[in-house]
Amino acid sequence: MLRLVLGVGLAALIASPALAHTGDLAGGFASGFLHPLFGPDHVAAMVAVGLWGAFLGPPAIYSLPVVFPLVMALGGALGILGVPLPGVEAGVAASAIALGLMVALGARPQLWIAAVLVGLFAIFHGHAHGAELPAGADAAAYSAGFVIATGLLHIAGIAFGLLARWRAGRLAVRAAGGAIMLAGVVFLSRAV
Amino acid sequence: MRAARVAALAAALATMPTAALAHPPPLGIPGFFGGLLHPAFVPAHLLAICAVGLWIGQQMPAWGRAAPATFILALLAGLGVIALGRVPPFASEALLLVAMAVGLLVAWARSLPESAGCVFAALTGLAVGFDSPPEVVSLREANLMLLGTGFGGSLLMVATVEAGSRLARLWHGVAVRVLGSWIAAIAVLVFAVQLTR
Repeated sequence: MLRLVLGVGLAALIASPALAHTGDLAGGFASGFLHPLFGPDHVAAMVAVGLWGAFLGPPAIYSLPVVFPLVMALGGALGILGVPLPGVEAGVAASAIALGLMVALGARPQLWIAAVLVGLFAIFHGHAHGAELPAGADAAAYSAGFVIATGLLHIAGIAFGLLARWRAGRLAVRAAGGAIMLAGVVFLSRAV
Repeated sequence: MRAARVAALAAALATMPTAALAHPPPLGIPGFFGGLLHPAFVPAHLLAICAVGLWIGQQMPAWGRAAPATFILALLAGLGVIALGRVPPFASEALLLVAMAVGLLVAWARSLPESAGCVFAALTGLAVGFDSPPEVVSLREANLMLLGTGFGGSLLMVATVEAGSRLARLWHGVAVRVLGSWIAAIAVLVFAVQLTR
């Protein structure tokens, strides 16, 4: 019996500790980074934010890409906390339609209206990313991955949108907005 | 019978995990160099230090060196409290809240008094110190790790202040503002995850 007690005591000594940080750092970052890139509806809407910002010029060109991740994080927090949000997929698809339409029409609303519209749709995108956070993934790395990927998609949109400085480029940017809107219609038909 | 009870008690103890208070040495590197890397490998520390460092850099040259110096002094004070064997709670949560608030201030990019920077720098330094209890067995190893954390945290702060002041001159300060919004967004998400775990 003494041997048994000693054996169990030794087992207690080698019990693995509950570490404060779990999950695979690189895997978490890659998973978060690829999440927006592998969703064509996310890609279309993010590029549209950049296109619209570039089309509107300063200060929208940097205000919209600053507003989007901040509000998206609030949506992501709701998703992580399990707070239900109805029509997430439809909201993401609708964002591609609405933002693509704004670019296609060359709409120039006041900055706060553009920011509210972009922020509203950011909640749906954030919720979708947050709700799909893989169990066991490194939360910080996953979050950093999807925030950075989202920002890079905005930058890609801005880079293309800068063509709007020229007449032919403006047509190309508006055509891209139209294409995003049509893609959004396809996404919406699949979502509902 | 008594031995069986002892065995049962020992088995129960064996199944209990240890409290998730301390952080393991980053990359398994113990001692001074483990401590040096520690602030860069704990997400809450990295986010808060980068947010405060970028903010101070963004406000340069209107702000002097008081805020980074306050951070370093507060960090040493916080590590001193840990060295005395006290581990104040909620330091990690405080760091994430600082990262959110200061990330927003960076994105907002308005001129503010230097005293505001000193307050946030002091909060961050103290909380990084409080949240760095070393997960090692010997006292010597623990002290070396705390010393390393003091150096590592200070170096990271100085580096981000310098990076922030340089980035703030690029593209009318847009790059710093975007980074601030990213830091605040990541901090919100990590905080939400912490609430669920």
